[in-house]
Amino acid sequence: MNPAEPRRPDPDALLAEAAKAGRGRLKVFLGMAPGVGKTYEMLAQAARRKAEGVDVVVGVVETHGRRETEALTRDLEILARKPIEHRDRTLMEFDLDAALARRPGLLLVDEYAHSNAPGSRHTKRWQDVEELLAAGINIWTTLNVQHVESLVDVVWKITGVRQRETVPDSAFSRADDIELVDITPDELRQRLAEGKVYLPDTARLAATNFFKPENLTALRELALRRMALTVDDQLVAAMRQKGVEGPWAAGERIVVLVAPGPEADALVRAGKRLSDMMMDAPWTVAYIERPNKPSPDAARAAALGAAFKLADQLGGTTVVLTGDDIVRALLEYVKRNNVTQVVVGRSRRSRWRTLFGRSLVAALLEGASGAAVHVITEGGQPQIPAPRPRTSRAAFWRGEIASIGFVGIAGLIAAAVDQLHQDANLAMIFLVSVLASGLAYGFWPAVTAAALSALAYNFFFLEPRLSFVIGHATDVLTFVVFFIVAMATGWLTGRVRDQAVATSRRATAITALLAASRRLSGSAERGDTARALAEQLAAATGGQAVVLLPKGEDIAAVAGSPNLPALGPGDLAAARWTWTHGEAAGADTGTLPNAAWTFRPLQGARKRSGVAGVEAKAMREEESERFVLALLEQGAVALERAELAADAADAEALRRSDKLRSALLNSVSHDLRTPLSTVLGSATTLLEYRDSLDEAAKADLLTSIREEAERLNRYVGNLLDMTRLEGEGLDIRNDWVDVRDVLGAAADRVSRRLGGRKISRDFPSDLAFVKADTTLLEQALVNILENAVAYSPDSSTIELAAYEDRNNVVISIEDEGRGIPTSELERVFEKFRRMEESTDRGKGAGLGLAISKGFVEAMGGRIAAASPIHEGRGTRILISLPKDASAQRLSA
Amino acid sequence: MSGHKQRILVVDDEPQIHRFLDRALEAAGFEPVRVETGRGALSEIAHRPPDAVVLDLGLPDMDGQDVLRDLRVFYAGPVIILSARDRELEKIEALDAGADDYVEKPFGVGELLARLRVALRRHRPSKQIEVIHVGDLVIDLPRRMVTRSGEMVRLSPKEYDLLARLVEADGRVLTHKDLLVSLWGPAHAEDTQYLRVFIGQLRQKIEPDPSAPRLILTQPGVGYRFLPEDMIAT
Repeated sequence: MNPAEPRRPDPDALLAEAAKAGRGRLKVFLGMAPGVGKTYEMLAQAARRKAEGVDVVVGVVETHGRRETEALTRDLEILARKPIEHRDRTLMEFDLDAALARRPGLLLVDEYAHSNAPGSRHTKRWQDVEELLAAGINIWTTLNVQHVESLVDVVWKITGVRQRETVPDSAFSRADDIELVDITPDELRQRLAEGKVYLPDTARLAATNFFKPENLTALRELALRRMALTVDDQLVAAMRQKGVEGPWAAGERIVVLVAPGPEADALVRAGKRLSDMMMDAPWTVAYIERPNKPSPDAARAAALGAAFKLADQLGGTTVVLTGDDIVRALLEYVKRNNVTQVVVGRSRRSRWRTLFGRSLVAALLEGASGAAVHVITEGGQPQIPAPRPRTSRAAFWRGEIASIGFVGIAGLIAAAVDQLHQDANLAMIFLVSVLASGLAYGFWPAVTAAALSALAYNFFFLEPRLSFVIGHATDVLTFVVFFIVAMATGWLTGRVRDQAVATSRRATAITALLAASRRLSGSAERGDTARALAEQLAAATGGQAVVLLPKGEDIAAVAGSPNLPALGPGDLAAARWTWTHGEAAGADTGTLPNAAWTFRPLQGARKRSGVAGVEAKAMREEESERFVLALLEQGAVALERAELAADAADAEALRRSDKLRSALLNSVSHDLRTPLSTVLGSATTLLEYRDSLDEAAKADLLTSIREEAERLNRYVGNLLDMTRLEGEGLDIRNDWVDVRDVLGAAADRVSRRLGGRKISRDFPSDLAFVKADTTLLEQALVNILENAVAYSPDSSTIELAAYEDRNNVVISIEDEGRGIPTSELERVFEKFRRMEESTDRGKGAGLGLAISKGFVEAMGGRIAAASPIHEGRGTRILISLPKDASAQRLSA
Repeated sequence: MSGHKQRILVVDDEPQIHRFLDRALEAAGFEPVRVETGRGALSEIAHRPPDAVVLDLGLPDMDGQDVLRDLRVFYAGPVIILSARDRELEKIEALDAGADDYVEKPFGVGELLARLRVALRRHRPSKQIEVIHVGDLVIDLPRRMVTRSGEMVRLSPKEYDLLARLVEADGRVLTHKDLLVSLWGPAHAEDTQYLRVFIGQLRQKIEPDPSAPRLILTQPGVGYRFLPEDMIAT
């Protein structure tokens, strides 16, 4: 968020305002405790609205059996609840879909912080309300102040009760109106005594504690304050929108340092509260990863992950820094980002560390100049004792045993050397074992080896032998020095090795990401990209992955690894939800958590490209989580690029077809009109001059009409064929065909137009059948024959021949016409190609040969032209059709 | 029944078609009856059965194939359908459903009338085709014998059956399926390659010029036809 420049409206504020358009208005009836009368007040106001003519519907209202409240619901339309089966009980839950279908002007939804039964679309009611608001429905709801997420710690301090059902601050702040339903604590206690306050049975026990006067007073103040804060926020937003300069603190930035562990979320909430106090200053939650330290165990890592999620929910950003020295890394960040407020927790280091090192706070106070340091001393839940990481246990023992082995070997070698040389410096040999342990197995084995070596050296090789007593004074010095050197060596080599391992792990991760990125950018086609992404995701998470892409109005699974998985209806619903809402859904999320997969949106630069799903896994490393997110980003961009490439190709095809279309229009205009003019002309001549024409003339005109009509028919047929070829509606029905048969039929069709030309046939008595479409082949041959007729002189012969070679049956049509110049030979099969001097009647529009080519190739054959063929004249068209491997020649 | 004009029912929704066809049919000695809808056709055929029906498949109120199927329930006379050049399946379906023959639009009246005459011949109550003379070829159906210039032409039984079927159709088209089923049974309804082989062999034996067949004509995509014109039957 940028601080507003003087008198210019804050773009973020404007955007926020714009985002509100089309959404429903949310009004929250806020109370300090159960029983103040929020539901009652809401219903009363709703009844008034109804009287004014607003379409009010009760979505869900808990009357808890109180008669006055129930009375208010009597006149209102109430939505039927949805039964949900859960563990042998049927719970009647709010029916979200019914509400969406009903679309009332105002919907009453009680208990904003309610948790929905498992099997509902969302885990929390405030998420249901989100969806309803997005659909444009106005909502009124009720909430107790202790349900607000960021106030959980404060409420716990006040009442000793830790709220479990919470509403994120964002869900609360987005309310357009908040009405505080306020009564004095005494009044409330009176109500409680009269039994007018509903409390779930389990709470009755805590009720006495909860409803102490001082608690209620504190809660009331909390509610009032929170109200004031929201009003303040609204005021500030309005001012920012209009560009009015305000009293906000420009330039405050907060960073909260968290460590893996249960205190993390308390720190996050503290950061949020600080941000609130500083007029919504931007705040970041930082975790510093230390490469040479073992990774935190699962429970702590999960706590850290939860803290990060909480930070997101509360409106902060998160960052992970790396560095060995926490203080240095943090101070660097503080300096680089102009942080003005640093929030840390109290160091929980073990005693001896604080002795040797500086405490974090002290170091910060020293190093941070210009930033205020807030130390949060209250912790969260009681500390979870940190168990030793189970996964490295085996490795740890392996290292220890190996180091013992190394020391043993060194001992043996030393003993051997000792036999040969009296004064040899045997300590050195043990140092080698320390080095070996450190390099091979790391820090702790090295230290173990060092200690063992020292002891072994003392015991076995220092006088008196076989005792831990050191006889000579100089030997004492040797021993001590050796011990120190061994320890130092062990420590250094161990650290070096651990760091090397961490670095190589990181390098592997980066290489993997680079390789993934390259693979994703390598494929240009959507399907390939989706497949590559699915494979990468599966490799990264070690489970199954699936990629769904939009298909029409819906999305469908396009690629999966290792195979395309079968997604159940619950999974598909989660995927669809992610697609429409652009947020994660499925396992481990707040929406449809019963699904077997977790789905995340693939958000490209311009739009959502699709949805990626990963099998739900119980444990997932934080590192692979980040890798997965990076992959998803890459994948989204790659998909977007593939789509753009496809769009570009389409645009190119469109351009080409436009060119063709104009050629077509020209042809149609000319070639349709010409025969029609003849028909019209001849017919009108006959009508007008019927009496003055002799029989021969009449016959001629009539023949002309007939011929031109036939020509027109042929032309229309060609156009239709062309359209079928161009579009994808070419219906090929292959059957066993005797090409001699089809040639004969084609020749018959052209027979009337031969004029004086003759057709000669050269067919073998035996010819293999081919698989072809009779109609298409006949038309292709007819077109060629017509061409031959059009371009050969009247008394010439057209020769039809058929023969076969090893793989094909070949048809040959030869004419004795002018021939085709070599330069034109290649392009004779193009559309709309006509020879230059087209003077004869009966020439087609230049489509015939193109159609022949299209048909022949569609049947899997080839066509070619050769010219001249004999004495500088003539054209030969060859068609070869493949013989089917299973073609049978049945002999007579 | 000489002197009595044969009534031809023409079913087509295009007035222009009726315009020339009426005149042509009258000039050719028939009595045309004009109907423009499928239902109208069925009604007319039921009440006053014509001597032949010319049916366009592209009707506005009913699918032409349905009209054909419906009329074949109670009408056994010749039916010629009007189809288009590329619509093979339509033609085959109609022929298999009981149409006698087809004509492709746009058509010349000569073609239609020829097919019409052929179809009407078949339904002539009296004449049964027995012996055919074509040039120097004589086909004797009752005696299952074919001679050319007096010499016997050896035909295998299947070849003869094929020839006989074609000849009996008397110029009407027979679909591949029709021929295959009647010669080889329903299991071979799709084995057109058998048919082609036998047709080829038959042509070799009886056609004066096998590469330019005049007796057995191919209707590409649909079937075969035996000698539609200038056939002399005794």
